[in-house]
Amino acid sequence: MNTAIETQGLSKRYRRVTALSDCSITVPESRICALIGPNGAGKTTLLRLLAGLARPTGGDVCVLGGTPRQDPEFLAGIGYLAQDIPLYRRLTAEDHLKAGAHLNPRWDGESARTRLRELAIPLDRAAGTLSGGQRAQVALALTLAKRPRLLLLDEPVAALDPLARRHFLGTLTAAVAESGGELTVVLSSHLIADLERVCDHIVLLAESRVQLCGDIDTLLAEHKVLVGARKDTSALERAHTVVHAVRTARQSTLLVRLDGPVLDPAYEVSDVNLEELVLGYMGASAAPALAHLTAVGEDQ
Amino acid sequence: MSWLIWRTYRAQAVATGAVLAAFAALVIITGMQMASQWHSAVVTCTASHSCGNLSSTLFLGSRTVGFLVIMTLGVPAVLGMLCGAPLVAQEVEAGTSQFAWTQSITRRRWLAVKAGWLLLAAVCVCGVVSGLVTWWSGPNNALQANAFAPGRFDIMGIVPVGYAVFAMALGIAAGALLRRTLPAVGLTLAGFIAVRFVVFGWVRPHLMSAVTTYFPLNVGFTPAGSFWQLAAGYVGADGQPITIPQSTNGQVLGTAAGGIPVSSLPAPCQALAGSGNTPFTRTSEHAVLACAQAHHIRAFLTYQPAGRYWAFQGIETGIFVLLAAALLAVAFAAVTRRDA
Amino acid sequence: MTWLVWRQYRWQAAIAALLLAVFAAVVIATGLQMAAQWHSMLPACTRSSPCSATSASLGSQVGHDLVVLSLAVPVILGFLWGAPVVAHELETGTVNFAWAQSVTKTRWLLVKAGWLLLAAAVWGGAVGALVTWWSGPRNAFYSEQFQPNYFDQQGIVPIGYAVFATALGIAAGALTRRTLVAIAVTIGGFIGVRLLISQTLRAHYMAAVTAYYNPLGYYSPPGGAWVLSTGVVDKYGHVFSGGSAPQVNGVPVTAIPASCRGLLFRDLNTLSRGQVHQAVSCMQASGFRGFTTYQPASHYWPFQGIETGIYLALAAALLAVTVLVIRHRDA
Repeated sequence: MNTAIETQGLSKRYRRVTALSDCSITVPESRICALIGPNGAGKTTLLRLLAGLARPTGGDVCVLGGTPRQDPEFLAGIGYLAQDIPLYRRLTAEDHLKAGAHLNPRWDGESARTRLRELAIPLDRAAGTLSGGQRAQVALALTLAKRPRLLLLDEPVAALDPLARRHFLGTLTAAVAESGGELTVVLSSHLIADLERVCDHIVLLAESRVQLCGDIDTLLAEHKVLVGARKDTSALERAHTVVHAVRTARQSTLLVRLDGPVLDPAYEVSDVNLEELVLGYMGASAAPALAHLTAVGEDQ
Repeated sequence: MSWLIWRTYRAQAVATGAVLAAFAALVIITGMQMASQWHSAVVTCTASHSCGNLSSTLFLGSRTVGFLVIMTLGVPAVLGMLCGAPLVAQEVEAGTSQFAWTQSITRRRWLAVKAGWLLLAAVCVCGVVSGLVTWWSGPNNALQANAFAPGRFDIMGIVPVGYAVFAMALGIAAGALLRRTLPAVGLTLAGFIAVRFVVFGWVRPHLMSAVTTYFPLNVGFTPAGSFWQLAAGYVGADGQPITIPQSTNGQVLGTAAGGIPVSSLPAPCQALAGSGNTPFTRTSEHAVLACAQAHHIRAFLTYQPAGRYWAFQGIETGIFVLLAAALLAVAFAAVTRRDA
Repeated sequence: MTWLVWRQYRWQAAIAALLLAVFAAVVIATGLQMAAQWHSMLPACTRSSPCSATSASLGSQVGHDLVVLSLAVPVILGFLWGAPVVAHELETGTVNFAWAQSVTKTRWLLVKAGWLLLAAAVWGGAVGALVTWWSGPRNAFYSEQFQPNYFDQQGIVPIGYAVFATALGIAAGALTRRTLVAIAVTIGGFIGVRLLISQTLRAHYMAAVTAYYNPLGYYSPPGGAWVLSTGVVDKYGHVFSGGSAPQVNGVPVTAIPASCRGLLFRDLNTLSRGQVHQAVSCMQASGFRGFTTYQPASHYWPFQGIETGIYLALAAALLAVTVLVIRHRDA
């Protein structure tokens, strides 16, 4: 299977701030990849580097078989939806569709119009007068109409209410299904419940670094939550990778990446869901001052 | 791309067209009036052989429209500020550059098409304004022969188009570098004024070496046509200019004999002028001037001849177009090389 | 609120101060030169017949051009400071921050506009004061400070123009809600109002004085006056002033009664004194008089005050309109 995205040691530094450092990920084709991470982790930076809107200060990035570059062919293959959903405020949705038709070689305006009509979004009103959810749908329709091979979406549902989010993700999955394996999606968000339903691949960023990258099912199978009264966990740590540990007076809760079976009967082993997995990795990299917050709600 | 540009600038184009039409109507109506006033004046003065002092007795046109015409000096700056500066800056500020630069069009092509159309529009607008002003000023130019004078030179002919291209390029570059519309507007204004000021004051007089003509006192010398006077004065026997308070249009300040202040003459000639309080009679003035000529004092005029008018227009336009090209190169580099 | 205004305009104030300093440096340098030139000329000038004044430029061309440019300072302040005040905040949405603080929209506007109008008054006033000082020698020599354009650069009217332009910019921004459109409206509106007031209203602030004299003579009002019109008037009140037809001292030959025409049909310079006297009596007998209508020099400061007052009143009205618009329209 080909890879849609492959990066090696990718980093991006602005004058004083390192937005992304040593990022190496692989996203195979026709996946829907969740890009998760706390605010400021570097998600937007990574997406902009992939789209060619920004240039890396270190490392390599390979998108759709080539470096992101100023080339109509490359640009035709990617679709980028920025976080602030920029549309020309005074132009209507219809105007945007016309503009897209002029600016792209492969343009499917009709299905975009159909989709928008189904969602009862007016095509003849200035984009600045539409609601946030409507603007997001228009922007997504524009991005899909390009018929890209890779879709990069930066927190597209951040400003949407639950129903609008549902519609958006539904549109997205339908589009992926319709494309018959031609379309790869990278979707950044921190609403894990949504992503769990839709995505099959995950890249987890925290502190400007990649914490996790891989197939969701595989990762979930590889990780377990171990709860036990044992204080001394060194044996466990030698055998497997402890991602995140919460130790209270009475027990220890550990998120572990297994490297073989767990033989110690003192631990209760349970499966992990995506949210626990993500929180575990994010908690591991969180600042020490916040460490105690990750234990809130757990047994004191 | 061109369609998107038209769609984005539709309202602006209509508004500009309306203002331009109103200006044109005003200029054409008053200009025709002025032209007929001028024609009848020429006819009557030729018949009565009194055309000599027409320039001091005839006032053509309305003062208000005259002011408006002078204010077209600002048209290139306004174009640069309102059309050039936002070209890149507004897209980046609003975030729509993230839409535009992820369509299947390279940033270079995007900028080339957008800047190209808007430069063309600026050239047209400024060309129309300058054409109207040049036509309107025809009678005044013939009457006052001052088309080459600073201030009038800048609003007629082809230089306004050069200024407009420069102002637009400056605005585009400022917007591409600063990426925020208002600072780009300010920078465009400041840069335009500064460059125009420098070229106007220090470069233009030296584009070609000026002509200096020496002539005897009290004879007077006026070059033909609309010449541009740079300096005038008197030279002594040693060929050095006699420093006297003088002005830029040749009028001399201070008590003068035939145009030269008595206090600047050699002592023997001053004695002939007598004591200060009695005005000259004709005879005493002749005596003073004869004495001055005997001391080899001559008058001189340094000027650019009228025949060089179009050469100067062309060279100055060329300078501004070259500056514009350099600025556009900067803008292209800023847009294609920097992060979006 | 004041702190917020300062924080927002810090850089602009610094740049404006820098530009003012550069302007001041050039004006002061050339002005001192000019003053020295004037002082050295003065003894030579007053020794005999009055100095012949023309509309020449005493002093350097650079200083002169820069001073002429100062006419544009009010409108620049207006569209750079005034237009974005409301419009930019509306466009970027920062009004939603400002107007959700515990400060009413009116107070927000009045504090912000108040400081900017004050800054505009200070900057306009500083530029005007520098130009007035610079023009000292020129005013003493040519006494043309009441003339159009010179009047506009000196004294206190630049303060009025600057405050008006800024208020116009603010109002334009509040009404059009788009910064660039507001800038265009400010420029156009300012030019329109300035032309209207200076060309049609200014001459009528106070009643002009008309002096009559013999129709072939010349009359120059005492120095520093603003001549509105001059010419020859006949007994029916018909005015002749300049033109292209053959004329004698501004009167078309065809209008002169036949009885007098014969006396005048030659160049005045070649007529003897007696002949000129005869011609004058003949024309006066036919009811011709020369006239000059002018605003005397004593009206200069009242005019400055009246015009400044007009512009300040316009600014206040525009500010009131802005307050109304902001309160009644949605953000």
